Amino acid sequence: MTKTETHRADERRFLDERGSAGPLAPNGLNPATIMEKAVRERIVDSYFYKEQCFAVNEADIVDRVVEHVDFIGGVYGVVQKPTPFLCLAFKLLQLAPSDAILEEYLKFGGEKFKYLRALAVFYIRLTRPDKEVYTRLEPLLEDGRKLRRKGRNGTSLTYVDVFIDDLLTKDRVCATSLWKMRKRDILEDLELLEPRVSPLGNIEDLLEEEDERIKEEENRDRYADDSGSVRSMTPIKADSSDNMDVDDLEDRQDRSP
Amino acid sequence: MSNKGSAYGQAAGDTDFRKKYDLDEYAAKAKQREQDEKEERKARWEAKMAGKKYYKPLDGSETLTTARNATQDMSKMVGKTMLVPAGAGVGKRGRGAGFYCEHCDLTFKDNLQWLDHQNSPQHLRAIGQTGEVRKATAAEVHARIELLWEREQEKKREQVVTLKERLEVHKEREEKEREEKRKKRKELEERKRLEREEELKKKTDYGEDVRIEGEHDEDDMMAAMGFTGFGNTGKK
Repeated sequence: MTKTETHRADERRFLDERGSAGPLAPNGLNPATIMEKAVRERIVDSYFYKEQCFAVNEADIVDRVVEHVDFIGGVYGVVQKPTPFLCLAFKLLQLAPSDAILEEYLKFGGEKFKYLRALAVFYIRLTRPDKEVYTRLEPLLEDGRKLRRKGRNGTSLTYVDVFIDDLLTKDRVCATSLWKMRKRDILEDLELLEPRVSPLGNIEDLLEEEDERIKEEENRDRYADDSGSVRSMTPIKADSSDNMDVDDLEDRQDRSP
Repeated sequence: MSNKGSAYGQAAGDTDFRKKYDLDEYAAKAKQREQDEKEERKARWEAKMAGKKYYKPLDGSETLTTARNATQDMSKMVGKTMLVPAGAGVGKRGRGAGFYCEHCDLTFKDNLQWLDHQNSPQHLRAIGQTGEVRKATAAEVHARIELLWEREQEKKREQVVTLKERLEVHKEREEKEREEKRKKRKELEERKRLEREEELKKKTDYGEDVRIEGEHDEDDMMAAMGFTGFGNTGKK
């Protein structure tokens, strides 16, 4: 039995070495210190971690996600219990699954189990270099399934795309400080990334359309004022509903760059 | 000790039933054991001199550790009574009141300690595991996801609410069961048929006049003595 074919069942060696001997994550960080020390210790002490994350390999992770993860989040409750989601993310940091396995989690498994996708997305954000994070996560911004999120002050509702957007733009998600990625525009300037095309269409086109609509509206208003006030009611109504659509689109555009 | 003679000069003739021991074999065994013990003592001493803890080396029969399948439900033990011999356990050692680990002969007072023990290398060694887990490949992950998805779908199918759907599910299940029964029955018939053929073959092999040894001895004897049965029919 060679070393490469097995993991240690517990996290002891992983934490002891603290990255001095083990391999680093692809983005150059030490996987043992990606999560904060306080959180890490809470995780290792938690009953869920001891019971369910012991001797787990990459395939068993899927089991655990399906069985036990029905909300995302960092720590919750008064005693700041780590969520199963966070415990499994920590276990993933130890297992360091390959890209092929992550692809399974994201695509094949992610289509079926949304929390599996959330977990894989979170893990990718923590360990992969910035270019890869953008290229792998952005296609998933079309996923609008609901997620339950538990934090210190109660449960709230989010969506998969919102969660991914948080990961791409915020610096602290799920009780973990995310490492500072370069911004998307910088990577675009360095020509590492193509400009992103939203599935809703080009943002500039959308803005232009909106401008045209507003102009038209103004024209019509003027026309209506000329001809009489009674007839003007209907077209304005129609226009305003159109405008609302555009606003909506824009909102989503803002949310998902 | 020689095998031949006895204390009185000549061999006793009536002690042949006793087991004969191969003395050389046992001597070799003892020597081997002593050798092993000596080696272990030496290893222990060396480890102690080096300031390390001694661990028995792996002998190759260990298996890899695998993940636990189910959650350990401690709450189902609430309200249960266990009889424990008084004074059987000293501290954690031995069987006492609490969670008892047979492999390590230790007793734990609460589930956290119990769980810690279950995860400890000491326990893993006692149950013959290496504490290493096999890595899964992408194909295995794929298969697992499919399996779990199937299971979830199955669960969902059972959760239907309307009567019509429930009837349909019931029908499907009955159909499946019937199919299984049919299969079993066919297998059984097939087996019986084969047995019968086998028997026929035997009979033809040996000819008509074949008897199983001892089966008809009694009848033969009675026939030879001129009566056909003991007289218990008259009592009826």
